[in-house]
Amino acid sequence: MTPKVWGRVAFVALVALLAQVGVLDQIVVLGAHPDVMVVLAGAAGAVGGPSRGAMIGFVLGLVADLVVPTTYGLSSLTFVLVGFAAGLVRSLPGDRDGRSVQVATCVAASAVGTLLYALLGALLGQSVSLGQQVVYATLVVTVGAVVLGVVASGVMRWALRGADRGEPAHPVPSGGSATR
Amino acid sequence: MASAARRGSQRVTLLMLVLASVTVLTLDYHGEVSRGISHVRRGVLDALAPVQRALAAGLHPVGDVAAGAFHYGALVTENGRLRAQLGAVQAQLAENHFAVSRAEGILSLEGISFVPNIATTPAQVISSPTSNFAYTMEIDRGTASGVAPRMPVVSGRGLAGTVIDAGTSTAMVRLVTDSQSSIGVTFGTGARASSAIAVGQGVGQPIAVDEIAGGTPHDGQTIYTSGTDGGAYPAGIPLAVVTFVRTSAGGLTTTVRARPLVDLAALEYVAVLEWLPQP
Repeated sequence: MTPKVWGRVAFVALVALLAQVGVLDQIVVLGAHPDVMVVLAGAAGAVGGPSRGAMIGFVLGLVADLVVPTTYGLSSLTFVLVGFAAGLVRSLPGDRDGRSVQVATCVAASAVGTLLYALLGALLGQSVSLGQQVVYATLVVTVGAVVLGVVASGVMRWALRGADRGEPAHPVPSGGSATR
Repeated sequence: MASAARRGSQRVTLLMLVLASVTVLTLDYHGEVSRGISHVRRGVLDALAPVQRALAAGLHPVGDVAAGAFHYGALVTENGRLRAQLGAVQAQLAENHFAVSRAEGILSLEGISFVPNIATTPAQVISSPTSNFAYTMEIDRGTASGVAPRMPVVSGRGLAGTVIDAGTSTAMVRLVTDSQSSIGVTFGTGARASSAIAVGQGVGQPIAVDEIAGGTPHDGQTIYTSGTDGGAYPAGIPLAVVTFVRTSAGGLTTTVRARPLVDLAALEYVAVLEWLPQP
């Protein structure tokens, strides 16, 4: 990915953090709030594929962890896996680049990401009780992702525009040459 | 072959990023680095505080009513003018209501009778929990106001939580319902006094009262901080009221649940006790 693309990704991450802390954290339903960061990690994978999804997920996780009181790096680990998994959907045979497929991938990735975060948090001894609250949080984040997914996938398409210029779309097989 | 190479490259990327994440996680458990990370986090929270305050103010109903009044006032018809007047009156009413609510919140802090000998720092809650799994809130007072980690935070009704991190102008408070919150408590008086440990179970969930030594509490009984759990809290701060007591058939185990006295979801003003546990 080019520096310009990384710049757009960083801009998106910072704006998303402000939106999360300033607005979304205040929308509390069943003791949980929507989470735009995990939705963006899913969108990065759905739009950019597994590698870009994992890389952007890592960055988003580092940014998200700046404002939560859990162990630093927990969101990064979760979002790396979420971004990669969402990207694998894009790699499946058939037309996986449609916007509705990308949004659906975001929604599914958000649900899986929330559960994974809770599980990893519990394994690391964080203040996560694997009970009713995990179900509520997953429900709220997933419903929120239905709305946020549309915006997130659009934003990621903008951020990743021209991302292929800095690297080959497909790695050159060994023995081949990139120039003729 | 290209596809296999691409898959291999993707796996390497994933592995590297997972390793990087695990490294960051591990570093956060390392004293020096952890302090550095905490420093950066405090800086970010301090930087975000004005934005949070502005957005919180912008989302207040007063703003909505005023916006409504402006919208209707823009109409040139008589109906619009009347609606603008109505909106202005409603705005005034909402503002009065807000002022009364605010005054009540602040006055309730004046009436903190359970810690008469401890100085307090009043603070406003500026952020709800930032994580769906860690029950914390952010207040608008930090080290510049004398707030420090491990200071208890109360409202007019009882214990709300403990400061776990403090920046210059903001501080993070772990609520009593967080599952990492464990508080030595007591209930009953005189010969019937018993001690126990109150453990948070998550937002909206009652507090579990475990390891009861002495008599069993009864429904409606208030539990207080005991001041004996390594001196983490001063004694006598009301914490919760018992809502559920069940003893197993054999009488070997007793399950006790209690509801926090402080309405943590609607908390606007708190007082930080200028009190630190004994080293």
